[in-house]
Amino acid sequence: MRVDLEDLLFSRGPFSLRGSGTFEEGVHLVSGPVGSGKSTLALLLAKLLLPESGAVRQHNVSSALLLLQFPEHQITCPTVAEEIRSWGLAPEDVLAQADLLRRGDDDPFHLSRGELKRLVLACTLMRNPDLLMLDEPFSSLDCTAKRKACRMIEERKEGITIIFSHERAVLPRVDALWEMEAGSLTACGSVPGAIPRWRHAPPYLRYALDEGARPENIRLADAREALCRIRG
Amino acid sequence: MQDPRLRLLAAVVLSLAAFASTTGAVAVLVWWLIFTPRTKVLPRLGVFLPLIAMIVATALLSAWGGGAGLSYLIRMLALLLLAAWTYAGTEDGEVLAVAVWALGNRVGFEIGLIAEMGLTSLAVLRQEIEQMRVAMALKGIRPGARSIVPLAVTLIVTQIRRSDEIARLLVVRGYAIGGRICPRFSADPRDIPAFLTAIIPGVLSCLPLRDVFILVG
Repeated sequence: MRVDLEDLLFSRGPFSLRGSGTFEEGVHLVSGPVGSGKSTLALLLAKLLLPESGAVRQHNVSSALLLLQFPEHQITCPTVAEEIRSWGLAPEDVLAQADLLRRGDDDPFHLSRGELKRLVLACTLMRNPDLLMLDEPFSSLDCTAKRKACRMIEERKEGITIIFSHERAVLPRVDALWEMEAGSLTACGSVPGAIPRWRHAPPYLRYALDEGARPENIRLADAREALCRIRG
Repeated sequence: MQDPRLRLLAAVVLSLAAFASTTGAVAVLVWWLIFTPRTKVLPRLGVFLPLIAMIVATALLSAWGGGAGLSYLIRMLALLLLAAWTYAGTEDGEVLAVAVWALGNRVGFEIGLIAEMGLTSLAVLRQEIEQMRVAMALKGIRPGARSIVPLAVTLIVTQIRRSDEIARLLVVRGYAIGGRICPRFSADPRDIPAFLTAIIPGVLSCLPLRDVFILVG
């Protein structure tokens, strides 16, 4: 199972996006500042946008799903329970996973932004597709919800998970790092080898690297552990 | 037509003509062919064709039941083309400017503001329908009779909520009633002939043509 980007080129007004590379099975993090083109790349990978030239080729991917950046854009039903059913899921399971028990009859637009994000994120993760693309999955979430989202992402044992995020505080364990800057996609490589080359590394990771530590992954816990190792 | 006053007035006269009689509607279609950029003002086919299909289906049903199906078809087609021309030519703030010019800073401003908000809602609605189409595609839901009802409910509720939010926003910003703007309009030399010609369908729709031809004969 893999997704190939073959000399992808997409333009809209003065903005253009370019990228090549292969997304293998595992968790990929595409990081970059706001407006760098992460969401556009996510839409291209999900085939909701067509490139000007080049192609996105999916190999042995039987199901794909994109979590949109704005959870309101994913809502198609007037109640939370109906919304969950529209994803082909049982409301009870998703409500429990999203910490929204007894909110099944509510209007989804009466949920707070964070609650709505939790709902849509839970639906997306519980559908468990071969190719899961998460556009800013941590935005609007508090730290507890971010950590829970990270755990759910890490629990995915199979398939390709691509996270598009500018998050720099709470991150999941990943297998590969990518950077998006001014519309240009760069592959940093596999973790942990790619961590020192990662220009958008969060401050705690940068600190650990500066101290001479070599974290195994990109989480705060990995940075702490690496620092403990060198300090004894 | 560049002058929004003449454009909106022409749209009103032509709409009344198309609505009043089949002769008026035919005259409106001729006017539309002569004085508008024709296909350039039409919405994209995905929006336009379903509307045409609905009108044709209703006309066929009406004709099948012994009603004036053909007349309905011609009149609705004329109204649809007029609406497309008016909508495509209207820029932000024009309706407010025309309403204030016509009815003043109090009543005119109120009516113009409501009309502007209505026009903005159309653009937002179009965007929301597109977002829902994407959401449905992501969930693997095929558009159909089953999905239309929840979609329509969600769209209507969203629109009502947005109206409420805008109303609250206006209150928060201190809006009570009326406002002051100094509307300025640009015009094109072809505006006057186009507008004067638009009166012809209006006159034709009011005249009992059969009587005129008897008198002439």
